[in-house]
Amino acid sequence: MYSINLKRAGHRKLASIGLLTLTLILSACGNNNSANSTGGAANAPAASADATTAPASEAPAATTAPAVEKTVTDAMGHKVTVPANPQRVLASYLEDYLVVLGVTPVAQWSVTNGIQDYLADELKDVPTISFDLPLEAVTGFAPDFHIVQSEASVQNGLYDQLNKIAPTYVLGDEISKDWRKSLLKIGELLNKSAEAKQAIAAYDQKAADAKAKISTVIGDDSVAILWLVKKNFYIVDETRSSGAVVYGDLGLKLPNLVTEIPAASRATWNPISLEKLAELTADHIFLVNSDKTEGSEILNSPIWKGIPAVKAGNVHEFASNHSWLYSGAIANSKTIDDVLNSLVK
Amino acid sequence: MSRSQLSSTPKKRRTRETAILSLLAVLIVAMFIISMNTGLIRLSPTEVIHTLLGEGSQQQKLILFDFRLPRIVISLLVGAGFAVAGCILQSLSRNALAEPSTLGINAGAGFAVLIFISFVPATTAAPIFMLPLMALAGAGLTATLIYVLAFRREDGLSPTRLILIGIAVGAGIYAFQLILSLRLDPENYQFVATWLAGKIWGGDWRFVMALLPWILILVPFAFYKARVLNVLNLGDEIPVGLGLPVERERVLLMAAAVALAGSCVAVSGGIGFVGLIAPHLARRIVGPRHQILLPACALVGALLLLTADTIARWILQPSEIPTGIVVAIIGAPYFLYLLARSKA
Repeated sequence: MYSINLKRAGHRKLASIGLLTLTLILSACGNNNSANSTGGAANAPAASADATTAPASEAPAATTAPAVEKTVTDAMGHKVTVPANPQRVLASYLEDYLVVLGVTPVAQWSVTNGIQDYLADELKDVPTISFDLPLEAVTGFAPDFHIVQSEASVQNGLYDQLNKIAPTYVLGDEISKDWRKSLLKIGELLNKSAEAKQAIAAYDQKAADAKAKISTVIGDDSVAILWLVKKNFYIVDETRSSGAVVYGDLGLKLPNLVTEIPAASRATWNPISLEKLAELTADHIFLVNSDKTEGSEILNSPIWKGIPAVKAGNVHEFASNHSWLYSGAIANSKTIDDVLNSLVK
Repeated sequence: MSRSQLSSTPKKRRTRETAILSLLAVLIVAMFIISMNTGLIRLSPTEVIHTLLGEGSQQQKLILFDFRLPRIVISLLVGAGFAVAGCILQSLSRNALAEPSTLGINAGAGFAVLIFISFVPATTAAPIFMLPLMALAGAGLTATLIYVLAFRREDGLSPTRLILIGIAVGAGIYAFQLILSLRLDPENYQFVATWLAGKIWGGDWRFVMALLPWILILVPFAFYKARVLNVLNLGDEIPVGLGLPVERERVLLMAAAVALAGSCVAVSGGIGFVGLIAPHLARRIVGPRHQILLPACALVGALLLLTADTIARWILQPSEIPTGIVVAIIGAPYFLYLLARSKA
């Protein structure tokens, strides 16, 4: 603990001595740990993480080596020392970016009823961590670098405690609402700026191709994106999540209703009543159905069936394990695939 | 007071009281050790001792000294604080149902905190240090309001009126809390919701330092006023007859109870029931003499909350449930049992 603090203060010699001592202590306690603790698995990575940071702190910054420890300022103004080569990265709810950059996180975001299903293949061997980042769970994964998405999730002293476990960088809402900026920033932190730029270019190319194909098929038709969960409909903001993909990147026409929501009270997904939906004039509806069991009642109601797009049979339904609720190069790319599959036959 | 206690000699009584307090202290120490070993990452007793002696790994030190110990200490302090506050309020109002949460004091403190969270961005460092002060202000204002509404010049502070007005004011504040919390964004709402349910979230030595002065000053102050509480508990006429400045003493003690409750709410949220049950339990064990009742109360409250918090951390790993809910789950059946017995 002390050695880490000293390292941050710049006393590198002391830090390496501290790390050496620590390694000695760790190896001395080794038997004890494996003998009587179920957390033994968690202890081992801690030791290896120390070992990987040790050479970095000994190496002077003057060498031409591409990866050096760097100090950056995060969205909340914390000075964060990013390890030269983070090996055990934790970035809950930012896994999309890590996967794009070829980084496997030590744990992935989860809530009681699931994970980010659209990334299930990429992250199938990654253990889960609760969204609220329980301190002991974080400690157990022994991260050496930690990225947090939002200021609000680490308020009231949680940041300080997380930062004791590993250097913690808060991305901030300002950046995280734009996936391109997020990817570039995370790429910069993890020394993978080139990969980040490449991924964005590839995505933009894919979006442009898809846009050309789609516009020849549906022309000037408008599309709505709805999310059905717990018997309530939500409509997406045109600048966020799948809204940014469909209206922004693919240039599809926005239906009425979205623009009627006052800008000040817009969230990513905005609640909308079934009665209001009756006025929806969209030609196509993309429906993310998170309500397989109870939702059928609503989808059989006369009001829903009276909506023009529904009457015309232009509803494209996706289960909640599709990427429409998320944001990132992978999520958006999968959303484009879904749009292509639905509209271009 | 039971007959056996009346007939026992002071010396015998003192031995018995010392034995009870020592037993409670031993139980707390035992729970303390169990709590140190409890958590997502198992630390065996030997590992805990190694770590306490400074020989643990960095990870073990972090878990024990930075995450578990502050939280354990806060549980003890908050439990003792709520219990003593509840005991004072029960004796002052001569109503067995009085406690900071039934009197709406917790709600008032919570409301002040909620207002603060709603209108001050959480990204600044200020909230941690401002929250206790906001909670105290809210608790103080609510208590004043309830006192003014419940007090009648002709018959003083009627126990029933105090409780009823407390419940009414509490319900009103709760309604405003709901309205306000619906306006919050999800992250803040979640924080507020678990906070109101009573979660010991201030697992940090800074919170211990913020709470400690209040407990260290106000709990001994209550012990010091034990005799006054004995007399006030008899109703208004007798203390006046004995020449006690009733109104002044009552306001002073009430202020102490409110300050205790407010400072505890600030770090633990609305943990009810401890302030209600701990005095009841303590009274059953040691009787109604405040010289012994108050210390017993403090110990029972500390033990109760530490136990509840340990269960809260353990039962749904890796996530935890708010401690206040555990207290309510344990507390509600016990309270029903008390009610059933008192009828018989």
